[in-house]
Amino acid sequence: MPRFDTLNTAWMVWDDPAPAPQGAVLEQTRELDKFLAEIERRAFRMAQVALRDPDDSLDVVQDAMLKLARSYSTRPSAEWRPLFYRILENGIRDLQRRRSVRKRFMTWLPGPKEDPDNEAQDPIDSVADTAPAAPDRLMQDQAMQKLESSLRELPARQREAFMLRNFEGLDVAATATAMGCSEGSVKTHYSRAVHTLREQLGEVW
Amino acid sequence: MSTRTDETQMNDQTLEHRHLALEERSRALFHASVDNVDMAMRSRLTQARHAALEAAGRSGRRSWLMRMPVLAPAAGVTAAAVLGVALWFGTPFGHNAVKSADQSNFEDLDIVAASDEGTGDTMEMLQDDIDFYDWADKTAGSDPAA
Repeated sequence: MPRFDTLNTAWMVWDDPAPAPQGAVLEQTRELDKFLAEIERRAFRMAQVALRDPDDSLDVVQDAMLKLARSYSTRPSAEWRPLFYRILENGIRDLQRRRSVRKRFMTWLPGPKEDPDNEAQDPIDSVADTAPAAPDRLMQDQAMQKLESSLRELPARQREAFMLRNFEGLDVAATATAMGCSEGSVKTHYSRAVHTLREQLGEVW
Repeated sequence: MSTRTDETQMNDQTLEHRHLALEERSRALFHASVDNVDMAMRSRLTQARHAALEAAGRSGRRSWLMRMPVLAPAAGVTAAAVLGVALWFGTPFGHNAVKSADQSNFEDLDIVAASDEGTGDTMEMLQDDIDFYDWADKTAGSDPAA
């Protein structure tokens, strides 16, 4: 009598794990929503420091949210923060590169030039605001503008290291994940950023 | 020598103190600016977050279905089988299509006929028919061969 081997291999091979039950997915979405709600304003301000333009900043933040939700929502929540900022910084860098290319291209063309980096002052900004501003708030805004300007002049990696460590509170390891570099590089970039800012902002600040 | 070491140490401490002060001040300013983000932008950020979560949820469901390795080929085989059967036996509307074509021809004739009713030409044609059949009857009666 011929013997038939028992079928041991599964006839269905899943490329990825089977989708989690409905309740688990809902819980994960809620967790992700909570995380993004907590981080979104800081991320927006950090993007705005680098890009200036609020609409561009909003775009890169939304793009980062989407990519994190699509590709990394199943990862442990402790990894979301450095992953999110990695995606965000990549988005900022891509946009800056595109602007740089566009700027170079536009110089060759005749006609009115675009100002992709928003370097030209808006005439309305130079008009004095007649509403009385609280002195403290005014000083604070001016100090923040000076800080932003100095941060923008830093090399990108130094700015990233400074903002992630100092503003977002990431430790060296998480910053290294976010920046895609070694911990030693993070320390070097950070140290140089602090030194440069100290020199630019001066004693008074 | 010790004086120089003390001075160096003091310089280092001063520098570190200044660095700490810069970190603290810049952090405070940054967080104040985050708190001062206006309501319009906060609303846009909320909308952006919801849109991102919704889009990610939709694409997740779609990609899960596409990842199923059995459904896709099975669906393809089934579709091919249905198409094959349909072509082999002809479409269920084939005969009816012919019938309906004939029917429509008759309908066309009816329409044409209806459109001719009541006109003078129709009456004249009818009279010619009657005369012909009369003549045919008479001729049939006198014909030696019939």
